[in-house]
Amino acid sequence: MRRFQITPLHLAVAILVGLPASAGVAYAASLGIGSNKLFAWSQTLTKGTCNQTSTTADDTYVQQGSPASTAGGTATTLSITGGATQNYAFIRFNLSGCSLPTTAGADSSTLTVVVTTSSTHTISLFPVYSSWSSSTLTWNGLGGLTIGSTATTSFTGSAGSHALTVTADVDAAIKAGALWGWELRDTTGGAAATTKIGAVENGTAGNRPSMTLSYEK
Amino acid sequence: MKRLRNIFGIVVTTTLLSVGVASAASLSFGTSALGAGSTTVTGCTSTALTATRNVNNSGNVTQLNVTNVPQACAGEVLAAALENSSHTSLGSSSAIVGTCTGGCTVAITGFGTVSAASVTAYALSLTQ
Repeated sequence: MRRFQITPLHLAVAILVGLPASAGVAYAASLGIGSNKLFAWSQTLTKGTCNQTSTTADDTYVQQGSPASTAGGTATTLSITGGATQNYAFIRFNLSGCSLPTTAGADSSTLTVVVTTSSTHTISLFPVYSSWSSSTLTWNGLGGLTIGSTATTSFTGSAGSHALTVTADVDAAIKAGALWGWELRDTTGGAAATTKIGAVENGTAGNRPSMTLSYEK
Repeated sequence: MKRLRNIFGIVVTTTLLSVGVASAASLSFGTSALGAGSTTVTGCTSTALTATRNVNNSGNVTQLNVTNVPQACAGEVLAAALENSSHTSLGSSSAIVGTCTGGCTVAITGFGTVSAASVTAYALSLTQ
């Protein structure tokens, strides 16, 4: 009987048969090594809107010339005055009706104010981080408020409606659990000038402040 | 007879090659990170974590905050992708989980310019 030998023919056929099998094994092994993902998950977001009107707003203005006055809390217009004796206005909205958790966030938000008495001065909005009420806030009480040092946005006091982007402030407020709104201040300096905007008590609904909010949660 | 010898030779040669490949494959599996990964999952987390994001005043995402990341995940890479409604990634980035007491909050930045309004899901993963 002849001894068995591996001939070139045996080798060629064996490689042809074995190669696909080897490739499959190698692919499986490299997939395991390359995808060393330990844990993966996904978080789906719910989008919505929660627009605000004067019914959820509170506003006032405080007067350097009458530092103990709370008269701004019931005024129909908010006076913003620059120069030596200043008036600052405050506007906020109560977002509790939106039922947003502190893990939510603002996608976009716009505050709209209507200038009823115009000026050429620049009015800047500074975020307020502590609580206040229109019934009690006075010029003397400003020291007890925490107000951002950087203006969120600004506009020129021309007559009519001004849509102001406040997305970052509202986003931060949602995460903080409360929106304390903005202080509106004349940042032009120099000569005195007064800009007035419609308050929540204004007899014309279209002159009252409002706010749009698109959110995710 | 010669034909029978050829068939026998092919079978023997294929068997020898297969044994070699199988041995190499099992060696790869046994020494790869796959096994180590399973161990780390048990020790790190298997619960979906909650993420929130910050935006700038233009409404673009500036940062993703993943909260309550277990301390056991320290040193691992936390990757995130901001996805639209078609689950297409609008931007992705990652950060290494640091060391902290209790649950860590991991801040991930560098997503590029991605409008928060377009983001409908976060895809997150922890890898070694």
